[in-house]
Amino acid sequence: MGGESFNRMATHHKIRQFFFPSLTPKFLIRVSLVTISAYLFFGYLCIPFTIQGISMEPTYHHGGFNFCWRLRILFSEPRRFDVVAVRFAGSKVMLLKRVVALEDEQVEFRDGKLLIDGKEIEEPYIHYPCDWNLSPRRVEKDCVYVIGDNRGMPIENHHFGQTSKVRIMGTPLW
Amino acid sequence: MVKIKYLLIGVPVVIIGIVVAFIVFPSEEKKVKKQFNLLSEWVSKSPEENAFTMLQKMKNIGTLFDEPSELKVPSQSLSGSYKREEISTYAGSARSYFSQLHLKFYDFHILFPEKESAKVTLTSRLTGKSTAGEQVDETRELECVLKKKERKWLFSTIEVVEVLKK
Repeated sequence: MGGESFNRMATHHKIRQFFFPSLTPKFLIRVSLVTISAYLFFGYLCIPFTIQGISMEPTYHHGGFNFCWRLRILFSEPRRFDVVAVRFAGSKVMLLKRVVALEDEQVEFRDGKLLIDGKEIEEPYIHYPCDWNLSPRRVEKDCVYVIGDNRGMPIENHHFGQTSKVRIMGTPLW
Repeated sequence: MVKIKYLLIGVPVVIIGIVVAFIVFPSEEKKVKKQFNLLSEWVSKSPEENAFTMLQKMKNIGTLFDEPSELKVPSQSLSGSYKREEISTYAGSARSYFSQLHLKFYDFHILFPEKESAKVTLTSRLTGKSTAGEQVDETRELECVLKKKERKWLFSTIEVVEVLKK
C-alpha cells in the first residue's frame, strides 16, 4: 500500500517535472543547446517554406508546406529534372522550379514540346496541355535553365529562365 | 546585501538606458531601413483609399528620392534618370491600375561603401489586385543606392536584378 502511494507520487513528480521543470543550470544548458541547434538546422540546413502560386502545379500545390534541404546542393551539382529553390536576395522568398537544362545545353520549346540540343525530352511530370514556343537559346556557364511544371499557363505569365547555380538554395524534402 | 540592492536597481537602469539610446539614436542601418518601410507604406494601397490620401502618398513617394534618381526596370520600360515629380506621377499612375496593393521588403543586405552612401540588396514583393480583378504577385531582387543628404537617406538608384533570364 505504501509502495503504491510512493510510486504514484513519483509519477506525479515526473509529470510535473516534465511540464514545469526546475530551472537548474543543467536544464538551462540543455534548452540553450536545443534552441541553438534548432535555429541552425531550420535556419540554414532545412529551411521551412510555404508554397504560394501555381507555377509548379500539379507537382506542388498552392498553400503546400515543405522544407528546403540545402545539403543536396552543397555537395553536388543540380541535375536535370531536379526541383530546386532559387533565391532572390536571401532565403525569405524563393522560387520553386524544375531544372530542365544544364550549362552549355540549348533549350527550345516547339509546340509545347521541350527540346534540349534539338532533341525532344520526355517530361512525365507535365500533366497540362502546353502550346509554348520559345526560340533556341544556350545556357551560359555556371547556370541552369529552370521552368515550373505548370505549362498550362501562358508562357508570358510564367516566370522561368536561366539562373546562376549560386542562386540555388536546395531541393524540397518531399 | 547593500551590493545586491544596488545591482537590482543598477542593472535595469543600464538596460533601459541602452534601449532608450537605441531608440533615440538609431544606427545608420536602421535609418536606411526606415526609408524602405516608408516606401512600402506609401506604395501600398487599400481598397478604401480616398483621393486625398492617394495624392498625399504620391507626393510623399517623391520625397524619398534624390534629385534626379536613376531607375533601371527594363520589364516596365522604365530606365533612365527621373526627377522627383516624374517619380511621383509615375507612382500615382501605376497605383491607379490597382484596387489593392502591398509592397514588402525582405532579406536586407546593407553596405556602406562610402560615408554618405549605402548600397542595399534586397527582395521586394508586390502583391495585390488590379482594378480588373486580376491577382498580382511580383517578386524581384533589387539593388538600391541611397545617398545621405541633409541628414536624410534618399534613393539615388533602384535597379532590378535579373534572377531568371528567359
